[in-house]
Amino acid sequence: MMHTLFWILPEVWLSTIIFLLLALDLKWGEEKHPLMGLIAIAGMLPLFPILFLLAKEGGSHELFSGMFRVDTMALFFKGIFTVSGIVALVLAREFGKAVDRAHGEFYLLFLIAVLGMFLAASSANFLMLFISLELVAITLYVLVSYLHTNLQSLESGLKYLVLGSLSSALFLYGIAFIYGTTGSLHFETIHAMSLRAQTLPAGLVFGILLVLAGILFKAAVVPFQIWAPDVYQGAPTPVTAFLSVGSKALAFLVALRILQELFLPFSMAWNSVLVFASGATILYGNLCAIPQTNIKRFMAYSSIGHAGYLLMGITAGVDIGSAAVSYYLLGYLFTNLVLFLVITAVTLQTGSDEIKSFAGLSKRSPFLAAAMFIGLLSLAGVPPMAGFFGKFLLVLSALSQGYLTLAIIGAVAVVISLYYYLRVVQTLYADEPVDATPIKIGTTMKMSIVACLIGIFVLGIWQYPFLAISIRSIQHIF
Amino acid sequence: MGIPMGPVSALVLSPIIGAILLMMVPQGRDKWVRWIATAFTAVPLLIALHCVYHYDKVLGGYQCLEKISWIPTLGINYQVGLDGISVVLVLLHSLCSFTGVLVSYRVQKRVKEYYIFYLLLIGGVAGVFASLDLFFFYLFYEMAVIPMFPLIGIWGSKDKEYATMKLTLYLTAGAVLALIGLSIVYLASGAQSFDLIFLERYLMQNPLPTQLQVWVFPFLLFGFGVIAPMWPLHSWSPLGHASAPSAVSMLHAGVLMKLGSYAILRIAMQLLPAGAQFWMPWVAIIAIMNILYGGFVAMAQKDIKFTIGYSSSSHMGYVLLGLACMNPVGLNGAVLLMFAHGIMTALAFAAIGHIYDQTHTRITAEWGGLARQIPFVSTLFIMAAMASSGLPGFANFVSELLIFFASWNVYRWSALAAIFGIVTTAFYMLRTVRTAFFGPLNPKWAELKDATNFEKIPYLILLAALMIVGIWPRSLLEIISTATPNILAHLK
Repeated sequence: MMHTLFWILPEVWLSTIIFLLLALDLKWGEEKHPLMGLIAIAGMLPLFPILFLLAKEGGSHELFSGMFRVDTMALFFKGIFTVSGIVALVLAREFGKAVDRAHGEFYLLFLIAVLGMFLAASSANFLMLFISLELVAITLYVLVSYLHTNLQSLESGLKYLVLGSLSSALFLYGIAFIYGTTGSLHFETIHAMSLRAQTLPAGLVFGILLVLAGILFKAAVVPFQIWAPDVYQGAPTPVTAFLSVGSKALAFLVALRILQELFLPFSMAWNSVLVFASGATILYGNLCAIPQTNIKRFMAYSSIGHAGYLLMGITAGVDIGSAAVSYYLLGYLFTNLVLFLVITAVTLQTGSDEIKSFAGLSKRSPFLAAAMFIGLLSLAGVPPMAGFFGKFLLVLSALSQGYLTLAIIGAVAVVISLYYYLRVVQTLYADEPVDATPIKIGTTMKMSIVACLIGIFVLGIWQYPFLAISIRSIQHIF
Repeated sequence: MGIPMGPVSALVLSPIIGAILLMMVPQGRDKWVRWIATAFTAVPLLIALHCVYHYDKVLGGYQCLEKISWIPTLGINYQVGLDGISVVLVLLHSLCSFTGVLVSYRVQKRVKEYYIFYLLLIGGVAGVFASLDLFFFYLFYEMAVIPMFPLIGIWGSKDKEYATMKLTLYLTAGAVLALIGLSIVYLASGAQSFDLIFLERYLMQNPLPTQLQVWVFPFLLFGFGVIAPMWPLHSWSPLGHASAPSAVSMLHAGVLMKLGSYAILRIAMQLLPAGAQFWMPWVAIIAIMNILYGGFVAMAQKDIKFTIGYSSSSHMGYVLLGLACMNPVGLNGAVLLMFAHGIMTALAFAAIGHIYDQTHTRITAEWGGLARQIPFVSTLFIMAAMASSGLPGFANFVSELLIFFASWNVYRWSALAAIFGIVTTAFYMLRTVRTAFFGPLNPKWAELKDATNFEKIPYLILLAALMIVGIWPRSLLEIISTATPNILAHLK
């Protein structure tokens, strides 16, 4: 039996790295120090064995009088946050070479956001959850507007700040209503009450819906998706990558926790809303992605579409649906990261985010073009890539709950998405490059791309072990 | 978990392994690329010949089975095997793909990438024919569709960008529709299994409610029907043929289109027999639309690839009619026609490709008198045209005859219309042959070169297959007819 404090080792380790970087940043001052990024990345790596050890131990463990809980789902999501954090740092290092303002604090902020996500994953109390989410949100506000001489970055930062604060307020207001009707902020207590409940108090429904609005905002789901394209486009690319993966995973983690774990007995209060939101989001994201000419904006709409798919799994809440959410997120993680790695490599060279600037990439760098091709196909859900099996599970789970229309919308959207993804592929392979100079990439970038590609194929071909992990990850919910 | 080692897995995986090897070949080594591609498609051809030769006709059923539990939670197994129908289609596929690789030696642009995608396409199609698990069936099906996109988009001609997008979207739309149908069958059966052999037996004893079958059947029928190509969902197909490079047209018209009717036969009709009983009379009508509409449109074409393209969709109508009969003669005829038509179209597209690469035009009227200049290639096309028109001595004749016999008692009017379809075929085929190959030689083509000895190899392989089966149809019919009773047992 391990000491209870052992369970917060990942958070403690991460905080240590953060303080180390803070000290180093003070010491090294304004100059860009090449070691800073490397220390941040290397500091993240030990998290994998730690998380693995904890997952092997298994079980659900409460600390700090029930504020903090470590279960398999928390560990699973911490793994996702770690991967997205590492890749974001790799991108940030690459990005830092090209812009004048990228000092230690850029890395530091990423690490703090990851810490916030870790805490949120283990929150077992609404207050704790709110504080961790705010920790993430505030670091992200800074990160989005990091390029403070760039008007677009500032604009998107401001937009994110205003709308994000609004959603936080809604979330908090919802918590107040939940507290008002249940008399507790503690997940265990609320869960026990919802199991015993005979009636559905109106105040609680209102509270749940408000909390839901807060989550849907973070996940960029219709009707709270308006911010995403502008913010994705304006933010520095590493931040966009982190938003599209880490932040999205966080939103769905919270959705699984609150909706599936706490309020499943009240599913009639939120399920029809989610079914509608899911269908609308899938259609909105996929249709709006068609006319995009800017690759980051394009990725924003595509990620809205994927949020719709993930929501499908939450509405079809029985075990296979929730496991599908975990699986889909895992596949989406590697896929989106590959794409952002390629996008960063190309845009840093060409200095433009326009899709046009990717023309003839297959001649400039066959490796990057192939990676992007595979990534786009995986997003579209083509086998044998990761995206396929995730979508397959989601459609299966939606059908098993009798949501035929939703499943058909999801299936039709696959065709729509294939259209716009393949148009990018056409640009990569069939168009002539404007400038045929080969694109060179560094070793860390190349290694990250290869690692993510391996992830995509392994998840797409050898599904069983990962499906088993996904199923284990949701065991403590029910 | 074991490693798939049997002959059928080797047949499916060999092209895929070849594609992975090709990725590692350094740029510019085109010769290596061609040799690797040839070797990794020759192996499946040998295996397919072996399987056909050693298929136990007395035993029947699925043979060379391999099964590995893949995702036990959902009841998904990697399971491959061949019965009398799929073994014939696998033979067709490996003939077309091997000769396709040889014909592609003419490709000069981005050779390595071309063969990577081509081998992936071959592996995907082989996987569909060999899979006996619904999940893997679908997986291979989609894997076969996607490589077409770059193959046509990069190496194609004319409206290639429009054609390739249309083709990919149509086929994917059909695939996802079918996926919904498959998922409903899986969930409704309650057997928790994607295993096709198990489901066949299970659903025979516990059939799904008739009403459910009737409304799920269209998902599978039209979903797979897109690739068949079933009228009015066929319009992607002639366009795709016309824009694709010749080896891809060979595989596309020769094999890919057969996936649709194969899937309808193997999955839709077997798992949803009551649905089939309800919908097949409609299919017989659609089949006539295919035959006549395709035939008439083919008559009006100026571009020879479009003529053959529409002709293909017209001939797939006969296959559908054969399936719709739901009797042994009809099914045997349909499967034999899939084989015969596949070889014949591959031959026709190979010949057209040979000429087009030199003339850079496919307008039939601009050719003229080619039989004088390039007698060998012209003869090939003329043989293919004769086979297609249903001349006795070719397998097409035998199979179409079987389909007429089968449909005469079931759908009398459709049978009459189908027989009339033969006239349209003869009309456009003979006219094409006359305009393109006879008459005075167009002086522009005085420099045209006939096939070299090496180039003759793939052509002769296809021609030999066409002739052997035509003269001796029993060789395949005996194998096919071991499988049809099993399928019809479900429909009773």
